[in-house]
Amino acid sequence: MAAVHGDAHGHEHDDHHPSGIMRWITTTNHKDIGTMYLWFSFAMFLVGGTLAMGIRAELYQPGIQILEPELFNQFTTLHGLIMVFGAIMPAFVGFANWQVPMMIGAPDMAFARMNNWSFWLLPVAATLLVGSFFVPGGAAAGGWTFYPPLSTQGGLGVDLMIFSVHILGASSIMGSINIITTILNMRAPGMTMMKMPLFVWTWLITAYLLVLVMPVLAGVVTMLLTDRHFGTSFFNAAGGGDPVMFQHIFWFFGHPEVYIMILPSFGIVSEVIPTFSRKPLFGYSSMVYATASIAILSCVVWAHHMFTAGMPTVGQLFFMYATMLIAVPTGVKVFNWTATMWRGSMSFETPMLFSIGFIFLFVIGGFSGVICAIVPIDIQVQDTYYVIAHFHYVLVSGSLFALFAGAYYWIPKWTGRMYNETLGKWHFWLSMFFFNMTFFVQHFLGLAGMPRRIPDYNLQFADFNMISSLGAFGFGLTQLLFLYIMINCIRSGDKAPQKPWDGATTLEWTHLPTPAPYHSFEKPPIVK
Amino acid sequence: MSNSPADKNHVSVWQIAKAVLSAFMGIRKKSDLEHDAATLKPAHVIIGGIIGGLLFVIGVFSVVKLVIN
Amino acid sequence: MVENKSFANVVMLRKLLFFTLVMFVFGYALVPFYEKFCEVTGINNLLQPDVQAKEIRVDESRWITVEFDANTRGLPWQFKPLQTSARIHPGEPVNVMYEITNNSDREINGQAIPSYSPRFLDKHLKKFECFCFTKQVLKPNETRQMPVQFVIEPGLPQDIQTVTISYTFFELPDGTAAAVKR
Ligand code: HEM
Ligand SMILES: [Cu+2]
Repeated sequence: MAAVHGDAHGHEHDDHHPSGIMRWITTTNHKDIGTMYLWFSFAMFLVGGTLAMGIRAELYQPGIQILEPELFNQFTTLHGLIMVFGAIMPAFVGFANWQVPMMIGAPDMAFARMNNWSFWLLPVAATLLVGSFFVPGGAAAGGWTFYPPLSTQGGLGVDLMIFSVHILGASSIMGSINIITTILNMRAPGMTMMKMPLFVWTWLITAYLLVLVMPVLAGVVTMLLTDRHFGTSFFNAAGGGDPVMFQHIFWFFGHPEVYIMILPSFGIVSEVIPTFSRKPLFGYSSMVYATASIAILSCVVWAHHMFTAGMPTVGQLFFMYATMLIAVPTGVKVFNWTATMWRGSMSFETPMLFSIGFIFLFVIGGFSGVICAIVPIDIQVQDTYYVIAHFHYVLVSGSLFALFAGAYYWIPKWTGRMYNETLGKWHFWLSMFFFNMTFFVQHFLGLAGMPRRIPDYNLQFADFNMISSLGAFGFGLTQLLFLYIMINCIRSGDKAPQKPWDGATTLEWTHLPTPAPYHSFEKPPIVK
Repeated sequence: MSNSPADKNHVSVWQIAKAVLSAFMGIRKKSDLEHDAATLKPAHVIIGGIIGGLLFVIGVFSVVKLVIN
Repeated sequence: MVENKSFANVVMLRKLLFFTLVMFVFGYALVPFYEKFCEVTGINNLLQPDVQAKEIRVDESRWITVEFDANTRGLPWQFKPLQTSARIHPGEPVNVMYEITNNSDREINGQAIPSYSPRFLDKHLKKFECFCFTKQVLKPNETRQMPVQFVIEPGLPQDIQTVTISYTFFELPDGTAAAVKR
């Protein structure tokens, strides 16, 4: 590789990039942008995490101690919004930026300038969102799903939230367009679709889902905005609108959205498990097919979030059956990962630990999802801590654990240095322990009837809540360990070889030096 | 994708249906898949997938109707 | 080669932007679709009068308590039923009066929206006359009494002894037609 710069090809952005802060503001390099996405999402993870600590501190004991109910509601609302739109989604886009071009042998993303733009929209949106705490009336407080009538009534905070969702949506759409085009048009010669690493496949499908449903979200928040300020009555009962319609449109976006947050993590895990089992992925093609069909079918199950909103029995049964059937392709993936490990020569470095933790806990989350999909049960558990437990098992021990796995897996390639394996293992085991301590007991709380989004609770829930809060504090602190490990690795980790994982087979390991050079694959590799 | 017109003619509705159905279950033999990849065009699969999705909806709906009566 | 590639990329960009736009419009298209769906399936006709059935059998063996509730939301009206509850037989026609007063010194348009408990009461409730079928316009300090006429069908499940009929008045912005004719 041309590590020493010099071969003069007439490139718009050559190696004379500005330095200092201007480098980051003007950069169009996919690696720089990926790095910014990752740091941004980690910062938002800490902000959202701080809100979560506030929530758990209030719920540590019955009664109102720390947060007034109004502020508590703002905390739960912004915790959800920030984690979904600020932490998990941008983190996956960061991985896509770093990895997709390297894995398919492309020099950069298809639209480098648009890439820069879609990143820099994020801090703007985040400022609006976090800043809304400080406007009169405070931040939005109607839950991350912002159902009317609460969201048509709130103050300036709700408007700021609406704008910020608009901006975040625009950013995601631009990001996905970029990713789709890169994957479809910029593959190296010989890199056929069916040779693409699974991470690339899952992102391709995720990006399609994003352009499919993000505009619908943009539409529904626009309707909210015009209802609030321009006299339309989409959701206002008095004007002939219907607040339940909001829920239908929102969840038409919302259920595909949860798959948007999980499919790329399926991709990461499908890279990590074969590497550390030293075997090719079992049933690669089934995985591709299953991912594609999950994406299609996820658009016909949305009303399982609305079983108690009022629905004819026919509707309830339809969405119940459809939801349970869609768990089938998801289950097949779990079998594929397990079969990949079967008789492999496995080793358990931190990325592998997080991936195995992912499989284990994601299955629990999947099962509690199927339980929520059973109408007579869901009528009991809807809006209780059971649902909270379900989606934290799929989002925290699903998406987030996969993100950790990916970060540990690729950080040597990104920085040229190894992380501290011992500390990495500590990070895994502490996360595993505290995660379950926090969320497993919430199943019991939910089954016993503790409602979500309420700052106070009955005495009978006190013990489990205290356990859960203690677990949450532990989990929060553990993530600071992750920050330390990453900084330590970047600053003073041991030098990493080109291919520190001997089972790795994708292009970034086999064809690029470590650390990956600033410009990689300017001459496309030939893939056999 | 491929430009040899000879083997494209062999795409039958049945082959697309099989590809889509196995996708919904998430199980596909490698050899079948390679055959698909060589012969099916993206448009085939997308249209097949949408029709498959519709059939899925109709199927589930019929089962619901059956259960309710 | 490079030229070709970036051209292909731009074509792709156009297609995807178009698709995005289509999906945005689709989001809006869901609104009339939803309304049509509810109309066809009869899920959501709260504000239409029911036709008076010729013969509804009165089930004299059974008593039901109907509670009446009245609220206003964001408009300076006083709104109350003249009786808070009634004990009736299923199938028997019921007449109740409600009273609204405009406590302000401007003319205000209001629209009442019903809601029922239990939720499925609407399946067994036939309403022939109601002030919620049209918008109500009250002059400053005007008071008005308005009737509601309905029947609760004998098909109401046996285990239900008490039902609640509740109305909430919302202010209609000036110039808005009644809710029914949006
Ligand atoms: C096996 C597959 C799954 C099934 C059957 C399933 C089913 C359900 C059901 C029925 C609910 C509604 C519960 C209620 O509100 O009463 C729900 C809620 C939720 N699920 Fe899942 N789910 C699955 C996987 C996932 C995944 C992979 C994610 C995200 C990564 C996810 C995220 C969520 C979220 C965020 C909510 C709560 C939304 C809210 O009300 O705030 N689920 N799930
Ligand atoms: Cu869902």
